[in-house]
Amino acid sequence: MTDYLAQTAVLLGSLWPKLVDGFLITVAIAAAAAPLALVFGLVLLAPRMDARAFISGPTVAFIELMRNTPLLVQIYLIYFGLPVLGLYPSEFACGVAGIALQHGAFLVETYRGAIESVGARQWDAARAIGMGRFTAFRTVIMPQALIKILGPLGNQLIVLAKDTSLVSAIGVMELTMTGKLAIERSAASAEVFVTIALFYLAMTTAIGGAMRLIEYRVAGRS
Amino acid sequence: MVNVLVTNLPYLLRGALVTLWLAVIVVTVGTLLGTGLGVLATGRSRILRMAITVYIFVLRGIPVLVVMFLGYYAFPALGVRVNAYVAVGVAQIVYVGAFTAEIVRSAILSVHPGQVAAAKSLGMRRAAILREVLLPQATRIAIPPLVNNALTAVKQTSYASVVGAWELTYAAREIVERTLASFQIFLGVMAIYFIICYPLALLARWYEKRLAVSH
Repeated sequence: MTDYLAQTAVLLGSLWPKLVDGFLITVAIAAAAAPLALVFGLVLLAPRMDARAFISGPTVAFIELMRNTPLLVQIYLIYFGLPVLGLYPSEFACGVAGIALQHGAFLVETYRGAIESVGARQWDAARAIGMGRFTAFRTVIMPQALIKILGPLGNQLIVLAKDTSLVSAIGVMELTMTGKLAIERSAASAEVFVTIALFYLAMTTAIGGAMRLIEYRVAGRS
Repeated sequence: MVNVLVTNLPYLLRGALVTLWLAVIVVTVGTLLGTGLGVLATGRSRILRMAITVYIFVLRGIPVLVVMFLGYYAFPALGVRVNAYVAVGVAQIVYVGAFTAEIVRSAILSVHPGQVAAAKSLGMRRAAILREVLLPQATRIAIPPLVNNALTAVKQTSYASVVGAWELTYAAREIVERTLASFQIFLGVMAIYFIICYPLALLARWYEKRLAVSH
């Protein structure tokens, strides 16, 4: 037993720098994809809520397709599809794009749900006291919607951080890929993935904690 | 152009059948396991409650792909020889179970405590309170998130291909390597997944709306 522990400690010690490198790539993927997804969701919001069916229809179709198919297949489509069109982006860029597209499609529904939950009465009241549409949205609807968004937004960001592991399937040397190669090339085994799991757990716990802190602050101010 | 998809459709559909099998087993067993744990998480045993809380916290914090790799490498390390399907299947069941347990636990806790007090004052025993008062109300609340949970599980079965289990996504990659028709094949595969997943999304939404009306 002590032999095993000593061996495992030596093994993990030798792999540690590589795992940290992989973890940093994982963080980089999440840090690149998260803002893109947040913005992409906002971009989809106006056409999604448009009253004209020829605008909202295709938007809904796109959102539902992204939400109801696996992210892995979407990443494959981008990574193996773009070269057919003569485009050769890096594996990293393809992974980030895939994650941002799917999570944007999930986020737009989160935004919409929050805006609709603020309710038509608030909107009518703001308009009745003479506010313009933009002012009403900016000063009445959005602040209330923002508070309601924060909870689901935090959950979505945690899912996003976990989804970065899928980028390993197209060969990016992030945390999961590093672990897989380490096992193939050394005497390491499941212990490596226990360690990797702890890395991910630390990341998602940090995101969850940060979001709860922000939620607490924002709710306290209003 | 579309020909590539048509000629390879039988092969893809065989993959889709494996995906469906995997999904049905994972969702059924995972939901049963998670429901049991979710009920126990509201029980009296403090040790049990804490153990389940840790299980939920850990599993929900790590990617399902990592859990699959963990299953794939852990079985042999423990001296048990299993094929890739069993490894990823068990891993996914454990993963789905954690999400289910959290849904069931919070659904039970969302039933007003006054209901339990009322049931106790009528002289009902714990088992009867759970069966007659808590579970019927919790089920209604839990169904939409449970269906969405199942939908996510179906999509996640595709990650099994990364670990080496042959199913729809694996089959698609084989065909693309052979034919280079990436657009046709992957879009076709997305269509197959969509046909499986979208009814689940509609079901969850329909039930949610029905709940909103009845309240």
